[in-house]
Amino acid sequence: MSGPLGAPRSQLLVASVAFILGLLVVGQIRAQTGSTGLAGLSSQDLTLLVANLNTRNDQIRSEIATVERQLEALELGGSRGASSISELRATLIRIRAWAGLDPVGGDGVTIIVRGPLGGPAVEDLLNDLRNAGAEAIAIEDIRVVPGTVIGGQTSVSVDDTALSDPFSIRAIGTPESLIGSLTRAGGIVAQMAATHPDVTIEIVDTRDMVLPATERDLLPDHGRPRL
Amino acid sequence: MTRLAGRIRAIPTWQVTLGIALLALGFLIAAQLSAEGPRIRYTTQERSPLVETALELQRQQDELKADLVDLSDQLAQLEQQGQGTTAIVRELNAELEQARLAAGLLPLTGSGVVLRLADSTHAVTDGANAADYLVAARDIRTVIDELWLAGAEAIAVNTERVTISTGVLDIGHSILVNQAYLSPPYQIAAIGPPDLFDQLGLSEGWREFIETRQGTFGLDISFAEPESVDVPQFAGSLVLRESHAVASPGPVP
Repeated sequence: MSGPLGAPRSQLLVASVAFILGLLVVGQIRAQTGSTGLAGLSSQDLTLLVANLNTRNDQIRSEIATVERQLEALELGGSRGASSISELRATLIRIRAWAGLDPVGGDGVTIIVRGPLGGPAVEDLLNDLRNAGAEAIAIEDIRVVPGTVIGGQTSVSVDDTALSDPFSIRAIGTPESLIGSLTRAGGIVAQMAATHPDVTIEIVDTRDMVLPATERDLLPDHGRPRL
Repeated sequence: MTRLAGRIRAIPTWQVTLGIALLALGFLIAAQLSAEGPRIRYTTQERSPLVETALELQRQQDELKADLVDLSDQLAQLEQQGQGTTAIVRELNAELEQARLAAGLLPLTGSGVVLRLADSTHAVTDGANAADYLVAARDIRTVIDELWLAGAEAIAVNTERVTISTGVLDIGHSILVNQAYLSPPYQIAAIGPPDLFDQLGLSEGWREFIETRQGTFGLDISFAEPESVDVPQFAGSLVLRESHAVASPGPVP
């Protein structure tokens, strides 16, 4: 051990230490930079995250299949010398309904809120409905679209229109999924029961409802398409 | 004293080098173990595969979104090629473009503001909730609402366009937007009038948000007003499973 550095054993020792040192440095750097925020999530949160990612990926795959069908139909129409008018119409109807530009009908839930619930809590409810797969939402007769802001601290206003007590939120989507998400243990309704004891939330499975189109102008004035 | 100095000088240089290397090795092992600490608290046998699954699904999602954007562009080009055919096709194409614009299905560029939110670097004070020092879904939703009120007409959080179906969700200390996992810092880009940021500053709600989240808890909130702001299109499903369109009595916007 006390021999000169040139001795093979000493060189081997220094090389081994340098190798382990290098491995640890790389490990440490990767632990600092590459672990992402996922490192701090519990198994339960990770399971929820995986479920959400799976749902979105399935939705995107489904949309890709739809767009591919549209492309095929248009190409076929084009080869016959005319674009597929019915395909264009179907796409237009689908986009307008999805975007809130046209009224939509279907099954879903009606949530009746009684008591002093503020805007942020209503936003939480809407957020939960969206994550549970709601396809269209209206508060009273106002369709919720991008730009709709729910205000108020103890009473609710939508786009500066004050709502009376009680008021209702209607959402179209699979009723079982929506009700299941809202009323699950530790879910939004349970949280609100704890934080807003004066508020009652009634959820009703509703069939064949119609939600109105938005009255907002959703076309941008300051933004232009980036092609 | 001179004997001690003599002894130190007598130590071969390689032994000193080795000693320093071993010291660094010990330090790194300790650092590595302490970095593993919080994870060990959560670790179960299934946790590591779950992290890998989540990362893999997010990677797949990024690829799927790119594919969808590509196909949508091809579709729009093909529709445009049919423009010259008949009056009805031209009219339908024009309506489609307007509908896509209104729905957030086209990328936009224009005047606006870009805000950046990052977790606090302040030490958590005694008795305080550590979660208050992190950016949460409610912070993102507050900023989005305040931007709408200030006149924004298109908003994106990192790469996710805010649309009619957008949910902003907390999972642990992570945030999902449009069911996509986003890593901090969160960049919120908004297109609107050139004085969008000035309008934002006039809002009482915005000032309260800044006072509380930045002033009290030290969230890192900054902004920029570039010459033009880019907002991506929504890349997701428009499939309506439970709902169907009902004939609208109103005019096309």
